[in-house]
Amino acid sequence: MRDLYRRLGVPPDSDSETLNQAIATCQHRALKRDAEAALAEAEHRREYDALHATLGDIGRLRARLGLTHGAHWRDGLADDFSCPADLAGSHHEALMRRLSRAALAHDRWRRWRAPALGLALFLLGLVAGAAACHWLLG
Amino acid sequence: MPIARFTPFERLLLTSRHQADTAALLLLGWVLANQGPVGGDQRARLATLTRDFRHDHDLAPLLEIAVAQDLDAIQLAAEVLQREARGGYPFLRLAIALATGQGEPSPANHHVLRFLADLLGVPPQEFAALYEATSGRSLHDPEDPSRQAYWQPRFEERARQEEEARRRAEEQARHAEQQREEGKREESRGKEDESRGQREEQQGRESRGGSRQREEQKRERRHHQPPPGGRQQRALQVLGLSPGASRQEIRRAYRRLAQAHHPDRFHAQGDAVMAGASRRFQRIKQAYDYLMREAS
Repeated sequence: MRDLYRRLGVPPDSDSETLNQAIATCQHRALKRDAEAALAEAEHRREYDALHATLGDIGRLRARLGLTHGAHWRDGLADDFSCPADLAGSHHEALMRRLSRAALAHDRWRRWRAPALGLALFLLGLVAGAAACHWLLG
Repeated sequence: MPIARFTPFERLLLTSRHQADTAALLLLGWVLANQGPVGGDQRARLATLTRDFRHDHDLAPLLEIAVAQDLDAIQLAAEVLQREARGGYPFLRLAIALATGQGEPSPANHHVLRFLADLLGVPPQEFAALYEATSGRSLHDPEDPSRQAYWQPRFEERARQEEEARRRAEEQARHAEQQREEGKREESRGKEDESRGQREEQQGRESRGGSRQREEQKRERRHHQPPPGGRQQRALQVLGLSPGASRQEIRRAYRRLAQAHHPDRFHAQGDAVMAGASRRFQRIKQAYDYLMREAS
């Protein structure tokens, strides 16, 4: 399937007026005919848009997973729905990184919990003592 | 203070007993959601197909994520599946079974299945064989809604329905006409020996009836006006062609109709008939000229 929006030069979420204008001014006769059949009617456009969204998703997924040159992804599909390689990286690795960071933070907390609590109590006592002295002597 | 935030799917994956099965389940849910609305039947079908899975958590939250088509969750699931799956065949078999449960897979699922095959490293020939073995039908190329040919049958169907409705309306109008005329005849027969005053009254009624008839004719004429649609469609209708006719077909239709309606043929039948034929011929010629200008 081709991306008619891209070929007509309009964003996929444009309203029907903009779209009809783009179709009317389209110079390519075959493209105009195809766009008229697929997009000029609201019902057809809904159906086309659903598939368009799915293919956009698959194109992004392939870009992120390094499958842009897969054997099942050729010709018109790959031309119109391939994205430039995504540098966001693997979601699984990101999840593992986040998990290990959380585990590290948890460990550190376990190790320093007792001394930190003691220190906090000591400081609190100091402040309370100073306040009491100030009140009695002042 | 939370140490780290996790999305619902990440939490499911982390608490799962078998991550690959949870990931596979999400992707199967995605296939299911692409096949149409997910109801109780579809859930039950997914549950029976995946009864061997060892994920050990509820299906409902996972399906919710799948129906929402959360792209990040799907990517994570795909990565987990790619990493953990030992050979893609069992998973692909399930996906194909889900997609072809009620006939041909949806156009979206054609692409989803091919994506999954690429993900698991199954080449096209092997995938086609697997598809045929699992679903019992051969694998076609997905249909292409960005081509006019995909929508052609629907336009034809609609044109046929419109034609039928028009014919029905015409028939009804003719029926009503007949009934009215019969009623009038009976009325006048009954009125023959009645007084003159009554006859005058009847004349008045008849003239009212006449005006109603005129109204009816007008409405009918309005009904006969060309249906809204492109000029091209009207021109095609004049030549009795369906959309997408080739230049040659257009030329042939034009020659046939021009011969049949040429005014010279009606020369012997009087001026009125000839004028009608001339109008028809003009219309045919204009439609032909327009189409030849437009057609590629």
